[in-house]
Amino acid sequence: MTAAEETPSRVDTAVESYDITLTTTDGERLEFACASGQSVLDAAADAGMTLPASCRQGTCGSCHATVTDGEYELGVCDPRALPADERDHQGVLLCQTFPHGCLAAALPYDGSRILYGGIPERQGVITALEPVARETVRLELQVEPDEAAGAGCEFDAGQFMEIQVPGTDAKRAYSLANTGNWEGRLEFFIRLRPGGLFSGYLRDEAKLGARLTVLGPQGAFGLRENGLRPRWFVAGGTGLAPLLAMARRMAEWADPQPARLFLGVNEEADVFGVPELEAVASDLPGFRFDVCVWRPGPAWPGRAVTPADALAAALADEPVRPDIYICGPPPLIDAVMDAATAADVPADHLLYERFLPT
Amino acid sequence: MFCFQCEQTDRTGAVPGCAGPLGNCGKEPTTSDLQDLTMYAVKGIAKYASEARALGAPDDDAAAFILYAAFNTLTNVNFNPTRFVSLLTEAASVRDRVRAKYEEAARAQGVEPGQPTGPMAWQPAPDLEGLLRQAADVRVDAGRDIVGEDVVGLRALHLYGLKGVCAYAYHAHVLGKDSPEVFGGVESALAYLADDPTDIGDLVERALGIGELNLKTLELLDAANTGAFGSPRPTTVRTTPVAGKAILVSGHDLRDLANLLEQTKDLDINVYTNGELLPAHGYPELKKYPHLIGNYGGAWQDQQAEFAAFPGPILMTSNCIIEPHVSYRRRIFTTGPVGWPGVRHLADSDFGPVIQAAKALPGFTEDGPDQFITVGFARDAVLSVADQVIDAVKQGEIKHFFLVGGCDGPTAGRDYFTDYAVGAPRDTVVLTLGCGKYRFNKHDFGDINGIPRLLDIGQCNDTHSAITIAKALADAFDCGVNDLPLTLVLSWTEQKAVAVLLALLALGIRGIVLGPTLPAYLTPTIVNALVQRFDLRPITDAATDRAAALAGTAS
Repeated sequence: MTAAEETPSRVDTAVESYDITLTTTDGERLEFACASGQSVLDAAADAGMTLPASCRQGTCGSCHATVTDGEYELGVCDPRALPADERDHQGVLLCQTFPHGCLAAALPYDGSRILYGGIPERQGVITALEPVARETVRLELQVEPDEAAGAGCEFDAGQFMEIQVPGTDAKRAYSLANTGNWEGRLEFFIRLRPGGLFSGYLRDEAKLGARLTVLGPQGAFGLRENGLRPRWFVAGGTGLAPLLAMARRMAEWADPQPARLFLGVNEEADVFGVPELEAVASDLPGFRFDVCVWRPGPAWPGRAVTPADALAAALADEPVRPDIYICGPPPLIDAVMDAATAADVPADHLLYERFLPT
Repeated sequence: MFCFQCEQTDRTGAVPGCAGPLGNCGKEPTTSDLQDLTMYAVKGIAKYASEARALGAPDDDAAAFILYAAFNTLTNVNFNPTRFVSLLTEAASVRDRVRAKYEEAARAQGVEPGQPTGPMAWQPAPDLEGLLRQAADVRVDAGRDIVGEDVVGLRALHLYGLKGVCAYAYHAHVLGKDSPEVFGGVESALAYLADDPTDIGDLVERALGIGELNLKTLELLDAANTGAFGSPRPTTVRTTPVAGKAILVSGHDLRDLANLLEQTKDLDINVYTNGELLPAHGYPELKKYPHLIGNYGGAWQDQQAEFAAFPGPILMTSNCIIEPHVSYRRRIFTTGPVGWPGVRHLADSDFGPVIQAAKALPGFTEDGPDQFITVGFARDAVLSVADQVIDAVKQGEIKHFFLVGGCDGPTAGRDYFTDYAVGAPRDTVVLTLGCGKYRFNKHDFGDINGIPRLLDIGQCNDTHSAITIAKALADAFDCGVNDLPLTLVLSWTEQKAVAVLLALLALGIRGIVLGPTLPAYLTPTIVNALVQRFDLRPITDAATDRAAALAGTAS
């Protein structure tokens, strides 16, 4: 997850107000007013409800919803965050949804993912910063005790935190790789991008003991209770983080579903997370994982394969259509969804979060 | 989805019952359907188990599984579909084991085992979708068009009464108290239901049989509780916070509370009871822990506000969970049969994660004002002053006893019970049982010659204690329970209350006042039968009903 500058709300000269009704997957109804020219996301925030979102400028896809009734105008949405077919079926990004009248929409998450009273802000210090693969680091923070929240850090596997880049107002969103805990630990796997603001900080300035401001937890991505249906995870690069968190949570909670994970990277120098996945495998009966290297060198013991190809092959041998959790860059998500769809995995079994760089 | 097992059920349609998209308790259709299928599956176990037991080959582990599985399906217990899928898989496995045992026992006695039918032959579908298709055929109202609503209603009365029995028996089981009579009774009653009975007269009589079974079960549970934790004694309980780290324990399970108290010993963490665990403070082996510090909050329907404000983790030990609000969803834990999707379940009585959370969370920063109530007037405590009570009755200082028992709930009309108790004349005594008491247990009722006018007997699980007190008084006055100056005023919400009602009817107690509504599955025909035979009285107006009771026209 990444974030960038916020898009100001539109302002019309004649301000009207429309009734908005959003319904969560567990039936919770959110009702609030949205001024003409205001985005649904901003209107919800004005009403005290922080909906899952990240970039707030139509590029990340975190605030996806489906309009069920009403007219609206969509602002600029990156097609990778809101593909054309979803847009054609009333899929919207709420940060770029400007109602023309009363509007109803279905949210793809349950009510527990909505924050009331703003996004929690905590201070943390860097307790680990280490390279784990080419241009990839593991960052660990220890949050400081908070009067309201205490010493722990509660979040759901799959959620993310925004980290404020020191010395700036900019924030960058990163998925948490560990599970909610009472010691106040936050763990991230971060790809260092050329020219990236926070990447630059991590590369050049960050030191153990440095203080950072984190905002969250946020986000709607997470495990769903669907009986004993197998849970498969497909990660591209640091898209592993939220999926590792989910697998770790399954191990910690002794979940009964069979679980399998595919980690895709470009080259073997990009491989990371294997010790963590091996630890999950030792704690979670039936869990197995495959590391898929697209362009391996001669020393790589496996063959060249993408996670989408590996998934397709595995689905051919799997009698039950699993839930598939996908996280990574949009091309990976599209390829995995195509492979899953070709193998008759129903659309409602596919849960994904797109990683989009800023 | 179709469910009408609790008092909150939707009554707005032509046929009362929750039919989706969400039950009034918060239960999703998938969970509701899987609960129907779970009860179908345990009927299959019961069919073989009752036969095997009759042949001298009982399987007590299977009987205990039936109790556990049924307990999962009670109102406000387990909302997690995944757990039900696991239970269904296990149910088929248990059923197959009992079948093998039965067939071996039958053949050993020269009997050729019969062919399996219905739930005896059921095989769980391999996936959730298949299980839901199977569930559609075994809804609680299956066959309504053919057998009629009276038969469906009576079958439901059986099923729900049995669920209550199973819950009580499970509480005894986890404390090591089992009874072949209770195991066998549950198995036989479920086996009877498995054959889809249609004889209304037989169904009515056998419903009273479930009441008799529950009397035995409640006695067993009383022995389990008092055997493990001693006989409750009058105890003053703090109802306000004390500064310090804090854990809140709710539900009914005394064993879980005891385990948590032991695991938090000397850790400088205070443990508070909530809801139906309030009576725990009266048990000597629980109150010996100084960090069992007090009671927090009220009845179950107030959870969302009260738990949100509690500055520590919450452990939910048995029925009464409602949808955890996001503000505390990550610091509430379930154990035993309880479950909610996305809430951490601790299956093995290791409450380490709860303790970790308590250490990390702020706890109470300051003491609240000193406020106390008194609990622990169970059978031994009351009967230890029986002479004083009997004398007060003979002197006319106590004119009447009102037992105001049962569950609290969110539905309208429950102020009736507050009005009834608080408005009771000063020469009457109010006995309480269950969480309905929270509506008025902080009211100052005063005393009669040192006998408190409000005597809390305990949880609904402690009904045996109330029955023992009533029988002892009847013996002392050389009369029947119906001849005592005693009126039973029951509020109900879920299936345990139905089991208690059947138990009281099985004792022949007449004139019970029941509300706030009658169970939706009791058709006019069934209600008329109960009114005629037991003078069962739906509530009207508290003052009117109380006056009728005092005039001796209600019992």
